Amino acid sequence: MSTVIESLKQFWYFTGFANASWQNLVMILIGILFIYIAIKKEWEPLLLVPIGFGMIVGNIPMFPGLNIGIYEDGSVLNILYQGVKQGWYPPLIFLGIGAMTDFSALISQPRLLLIGAAAQTGIFGAYLIALALGFDPNQAGAIGIIGGADGPTAIFLSSKLAPELMGAIAVSAYSYMALVPVIQRPIMLALTTKKERLIRMPAPRQVSQKEKIIFPVVGFLLTAFIVPSGLPLLGMLFFGNLLKESGVTRRLAETARGPLIDVVTTLIGLTVGASTQADKFLSLTSVKIFALGLTSFIIATTCGVLFVKLWNLFLKDGRKINPLIGNAGVSAVPDSARVSETVGREFDPGNHLLMHAMGPNVAGVIGSAVAAGILLGFLS
Amino acid sequence: MKRTIIFIPVLLLSACLSLQGQNLSDLRVSEVVATNENGLQDEFGERNGWIEIFNTSSGTVRFGGCYLTDDPSDLKKYHIPTTDRNTSVGPRQSVVFHASGKSFQGSFHTNFKIANGSTVYLVSNDGKTVIDSLTVPSDLPADWSAVKIPVGVKQIDMETGTSQSPTPGSYNGDVDAKTNSEIMKEKDPHGLVLTLIAVFVVFLSLFILSIIFRLVGKLSMKAVGKPKEKKVRKSKAKAGEMTPEVAAAISMALREEFGGEVYAAIAMALDEYLGTSTHDLESYIITIRPSAASQWADKSQNFRRLPRR
Repeated sequence: MSTVIESLKQFWYFTGFANASWQNLVMILIGILFIYIAIKKEWEPLLLVPIGFGMIVGNIPMFPGLNIGIYEDGSVLNILYQGVKQGWYPPLIFLGIGAMTDFSALISQPRLLLIGAAAQTGIFGAYLIALALGFDPNQAGAIGIIGGADGPTAIFLSSKLAPELMGAIAVSAYSYMALVPVIQRPIMLALTTKKERLIRMPAPRQVSQKEKIIFPVVGFLLTAFIVPSGLPLLGMLFFGNLLKESGVTRRLAETARGPLIDVVTTLIGLTVGASTQADKFLSLTSVKIFALGLTSFIIATTCGVLFVKLWNLFLKDGRKINPLIGNAGVSAVPDSARVSETVGREFDPGNHLLMHAMGPNVAGVIGSAVAAGILLGFLS
Repeated sequence: MKRTIIFIPVLLLSACLSLQGQNLSDLRVSEVVATNENGLQDEFGERNGWIEIFNTSSGTVRFGGCYLTDDPSDLKKYHIPTTDRNTSVGPRQSVVFHASGKSFQGSFHTNFKIANGSTVYLVSNDGKTVIDSLTVPSDLPADWSAVKIPVGVKQIDMETGTSQSPTPGSYNGDVDAKTNSEIMKEKDPHGLVLTLIAVFVVFLSLFILSIIFRLVGKLSMKAVGKPKEKKVRKSKAKAGEMTPEVAAAISMALREEFGGEVYAAIAMALDEYLGTSTHDLESYIITIRPSAASQWADKSQNFRRLPRR
């Protein structure tokens, strides 16, 4: 009898109940909240469901030494996590993004590229604030990139500059990407007048196939020569786009934008979520990162909108740009462009801004990869 | 013939690039001791001159097949064996060769000895290209080394000098060198310089890209724009241009009850217009291929959308 009781006691010590701490429970609740938001509100479900479930997986209390945890060398989760830690997944996601992105809106109106550049100011605004808060320059750079609103880039850069902060940075970046409509709309409304919101932009011209093929080649050569440290992201992005536009590699493009990106998104979401183990995640630093992430989003949106307003001062009537597409300079594709469309139609139901907003939106993808390359070059 | 003419230079170029791809050019003769009286002993307990090779790159370099020599007229003096699995050097690591003159003692023993005034050459596996060399000053005291020290922020450039304390197999540079982040913390504590440079570079990159595509767009419009525009106007229906009128016509057609074949024809026309072409090109026959997904892999077989309120 005593053997049975001893065995049961021993079994109890191995269970999650015996090893649970309040921090684990908090993280599990946050994971459940993510899943709830993803399903109920449909905010970035493809990201929030894997991340939310990953949070639950990573915070199941367990007896250490079983070699099953994400931070235990050689465990299944640890092997999958290497894709995040070593920065393999983000370039693969960029390959898929390139293969699914139509750059026509940008090619037809190349001037809109500059809005994508203006919105990257959010990255550097957050960098300055993070430095002022006492973060080291490499950590500040990794935190600042949240303002690019680009999850894969944030993971890539933080894995290189500040791996210890990667969990908080990734969750922060993806959370705010899911909240793009909530964050951006009030800023757009606060910074624009009714007259500005009604500006109608001329329809973009049709883009030839040749231009679409030239774009990834020239775009890659130029950006990679200026910022070689952005090579993995830029190379994959433009390569994916070339697969799409070349017209002769349809199967490769379909795989890149379909099964490949689905697989990698699932793995990156799950492992990033699982990396948020309470003992490594619940800290004042994480709170600061979340606050800085939100600040960088606000700065990026503000700078994008104000840049368009400023630019309009120098443009003739008929060439003016609706400042409601300024928010789309962050690279949350296509969510922020969709916000431009929605807000624009609230004031003029016939004014479709989506196509115009897609220009700065995809420029934001290029801009954030360039910004990441610069930070990597200076701080790694 | 034309293809062969294009193919041969491409093949030659790729062969040259594959040589470069070995990263042999990243190797350096980083330290040499000619007179070794009290320093490094080999595995046989003997003291000989030694040669250190350093890999400046971030990848492992295999150097089997390369040559070491102290004679510029005989660049193939000592052939480093290709069969030895140890003849590779990791990123930012170094290996040491003993200049014992007894190459039978192992892959890392050269068949020549060195003396003050000697120049040691590392020669590529083609036996002709000198990758790097280092000369031992003729007046160098015993147990001193001729050394190349990594300098600069990235520690890639090298400065040649001499050292009283040789470091065989160890890093010759400052092991406590500051990281870029630490340097930036000192030089730019508030981050303003980096911010200004970074914002400028992001703007510059995208500005140049916008200029290039403005030009490409103009050229494209000039080349094909005007003549095509006229053609399109004359044969709008044939070209199937998606004008508001065409869109409206399709929309009106879809409102009518035409039956499956008409819908299939409209769908095919739209499919062709959108460039997703999933039909075969056969005259007078409309063949619409099924979706690429098989039944078992078709998501619609596995998932259902919940009814929305």
